[in-house]
Amino acid sequence: MSKQTTSGNKFICCLLCLFVLSTLLTGCWDDRELNELGITSASGYDFEDNQWVATYQVINPFAGSSSSGGGGGASLSAPPFLTFTVKGKTIMDAIEKTNMTSSREMFFSHSRITVLGEKLARKGGITQLIDIFLRKQDARETVYVFIAQGKASDIINQLMQLTKNQGVGIQLMIEQESKLVSFYPGVRLYELAMALSSESKSAVIPEIRLTGKEVMNELTETNRTDLPSRLALGKLGIIKGERMVGWLSDKEALGLSFLTNQIQRATLSFASQPKVSQKPDASLILQEAKTTIHPIWAKDHYIMDVSVKGTGVLTELGSVMDLNKRAAISQMEQTVESNILGLMENSWQAVKKLNADVTRFAVKIHRSDRKHWKQIEKDKSWDTVFQKIEIRPHVEIKIVRVGLSNKSFKSIE
Amino acid sequence: MNNKQKSNHKKPLIEAPVNSVPAPRPLDSSLKMNLQEISSRIGKSSDVVVREFTNQSLNSLSMAFIYIDGLVNSETLNRGVLQPLMENITSESDSISAAQAISLIQDQMLPVGGVKECLTIENMLGLLFEGYTLILLDGISTGLAADTSGWEKRSINEPTSQGVIRGPKEGFTESLRTGTSMLRRRLKTPDLRIEQYKIGQRTQTGVALIYIQGLASEQVLTEIRRRLDSINTDGILGSNYIEEFIQDGGLTPFPTIQNTERPDAMAGGILEGQVGIIVDGTPFALLAPSTFFSFFQSSEDYYQRFDISSFLRLIRYSAFFVSMLLPALYIAVTTFHQEMLPTTMLISVASQREGVPLPAMAEALLMEITFDVLREAGVRMPRTIGPAISIVGALVLGQAAVQAGLVSAAMVIIVSFTAISNFVIPSLAIANSIRLIRFVMMLIAGSLGLFGIMSFLIVLLIHTAGLRSFGVPYLSPVAPMTPRYLKDVFIRVPLWNMAIRPKNNLGKETRRQAPNQKPQPVEINKKPQGDDPS
Repeated sequence: MSKQTTSGNKFICCLLCLFVLSTLLTGCWDDRELNELGITSASGYDFEDNQWVATYQVINPFAGSSSSGGGGGASLSAPPFLTFTVKGKTIMDAIEKTNMTSSREMFFSHSRITVLGEKLARKGGITQLIDIFLRKQDARETVYVFIAQGKASDIINQLMQLTKNQGVGIQLMIEQESKLVSFYPGVRLYELAMALSSESKSAVIPEIRLTGKEVMNELTETNRTDLPSRLALGKLGIIKGERMVGWLSDKEALGLSFLTNQIQRATLSFASQPKVSQKPDASLILQEAKTTIHPIWAKDHYIMDVSVKGTGVLTELGSVMDLNKRAAISQMEQTVESNILGLMENSWQAVKKLNADVTRFAVKIHRSDRKHWKQIEKDKSWDTVFQKIEIRPHVEIKIVRVGLSNKSFKSIE
Repeated sequence: MNNKQKSNHKKPLIEAPVNSVPAPRPLDSSLKMNLQEISSRIGKSSDVVVREFTNQSLNSLSMAFIYIDGLVNSETLNRGVLQPLMENITSESDSISAAQAISLIQDQMLPVGGVKECLTIENMLGLLFEGYTLILLDGISTGLAADTSGWEKRSINEPTSQGVIRGPKEGFTESLRTGTSMLRRRLKTPDLRIEQYKIGQRTQTGVALIYIQGLASEQVLTEIRRRLDSINTDGILGSNYIEEFIQDGGLTPFPTIQNTERPDAMAGGILEGQVGIIVDGTPFALLAPSTFFSFFQSSEDYYQRFDISSFLRLIRYSAFFVSMLLPALYIAVTTFHQEMLPTTMLISVASQREGVPLPAMAEALLMEITFDVLREAGVRMPRTIGPAISIVGALVLGQAAVQAGLVSAAMVIIVSFTAISNFVIPSLAIANSIRLIRFVMMLIAGSLGLFGIMSFLIVLLIHTAGLRSFGVPYLSPVAPMTPRYLKDVFIRVPLWNMAIRPKNNLGKETRRQAPNQKPQPVEINKKPQGDDPS
């Protein structure tokens, strides 16, 4: 009896073992060793001859690998990344074609930026691109999106100084920029998708450009201190619906940042004594600024009540002034306020001209006046309503500190 | 009749199986017969000294003493047994009988502590091997055994496996008596009980069960006694023999009995209601019942301030998980979940993996096995070759393997950090169980990724939650949760805040000190009294 049960136990044990071991067999099918992957850090998309032209930037693991070199700084023998340019009828078609030229499987999870060519953006390829990023499993919708005026592939090919990994470098660049000067907001792909699907159906994408004409894509070329051609942030692209409709200059972009409450920190130059001279001779760092917008229905059109409140620190002063006097400071505050008013007004005019609601007024109106918004939606009259909108900006800036000196150096002289 | 008995006995003795113990045989009244029987049992061992003599003051009865050279202290033997027996002190009477002589010797002539009367050969032999000197007289079937034991012992040293910075530096030795005396010195309460067992038919190893009456749970005690009594083996050479015979769980990789080399740790455990087991011949004593969390408590925790003790304890728990999971996580992340790493880290790991010929799992297994080989070599190798091995281990296997591109530098870092983490855990017992689990984890991580790691962790959790140590749930007081016993589990609260025994509700007496003993200035203490009109 007991013998039977032990043999029965053994049988069950064997079965269990087989079962447990068979689960192991299911595992390894999707494992990928690191040296089988091409880690993509940036991608660029153009449209040529009715075909997608995709450029992928793949990190070169041999560059700066300390294990093979035996220590020390990065060797300059290998470029930090390699690029593949492929054509295809669809984006996936292009991606799959990389496998014919590359020994490694493209791995998009660590992609940081994606650059669109202006042609592609104007033609309306953005929606398809957003779709593939949202749908594909290893694509990340947290990539930052940029527009290039020329070919996107030129941007992707450009080597960067200080940061070996160019995709990460551009990401750092836009993050720093939006944190420190607030001209352009960093736009991640999901933010782009959300803006385009929101009530205003418009979005902004910052431009990335080369300061020079040539593309620095050789290691020997970047081996100098002052590169003739660098990557830089340029203007602000405006997308409406599926297509790109125009550009905002950097000044207009800053005004838009004020209108959309996206100022984190900004530096403003202004004339300290506008009565004496209109030449800007002082500057102020805006440390915080908050914009609140209240839409008001005024019988036949909307009035947007825009109020900006902020504080700043004086950092530069070129005229003769005694900062111990309250009047001097409030005079400067007034100048700054009128400067900001001007920026916003300019920006609003430009936006109105493009007829793209990147100010997100539609969202504000929907939230504050749902009934009326339903009517607008029904009539599909948003564009005309938008054209009639009048903005009423108020700005209140306080200079909270004047720095380490109470007098300008000029007045001491 | 005696002859008959003897011949009856002799035959089965030869044919009996190895483990059998002959039935006790009473002493004969003839000295000659007794000596013959004893020498036939012992054989011709060179260390057994048998000497026959007579003493005039004892009616010149023929007498003999037997002892084992090396087990007796020769000074005690000479002064306590030989001198009084062989000198002519009195010339009382010539007509003294053997029975009178033996009581005379027992009561008046032997100036040694323990003198026992023996009636059987087995009893006498048992005492002989403990260092007693046997005294036999002709004409009486009673023998005497005088405690003359004394042998070479190791002096008390610092514990080698469980060092502390601030705290007592003495450790148990191989001697059972030294061990019990150390505990007696620490626990000067009449409630301390030391029960002695003899386990192992051939080794007759002394095993002492030590507890405080009233603190230790009666159920636990009866269970331990029952398990000790049921051990039937021919040899106990170390405390692990006892541990394996009595511990719960059978095949579990987790230890359910603590071992310690420190008498202070043992005293602490006994004060918390645990039962100590000291085994003769090994400096490692056992403490039961032990829960999972007691393996992370070091006696050092109570010898330094509570804040740093709590911090160190949390570090130990994290080291436990690092030691168990780090290589597995590395394998899982680099082969399945590359998107989980930050980009810069992924790039640096990828550039290190470049040119490494093995897949991540093979690389990790290889390095872990290499480390275990090195570790085992470090334990085995003679002291003089030590430096050579460490150079080979550190330089050749570490640096050279990386430079040759056989393994990646990241892997070396992971293996060494895992190894170091393993040594942070104060109890070697649980650190060793983790060593094995780590390999299983790595295999699972290599085939199933993080999903496998999580599943296996859940399996481990279920397994440990089902374990018991002498009736105490292994994960208590966390599962089942008893919040008031959590004061000494993950952190150690200040001693004045631990009014109840912190670990388990083992015995009845849970309170161990007066409450509200937080030290405060006198003025604050007086304030509530000031309200009284006085």
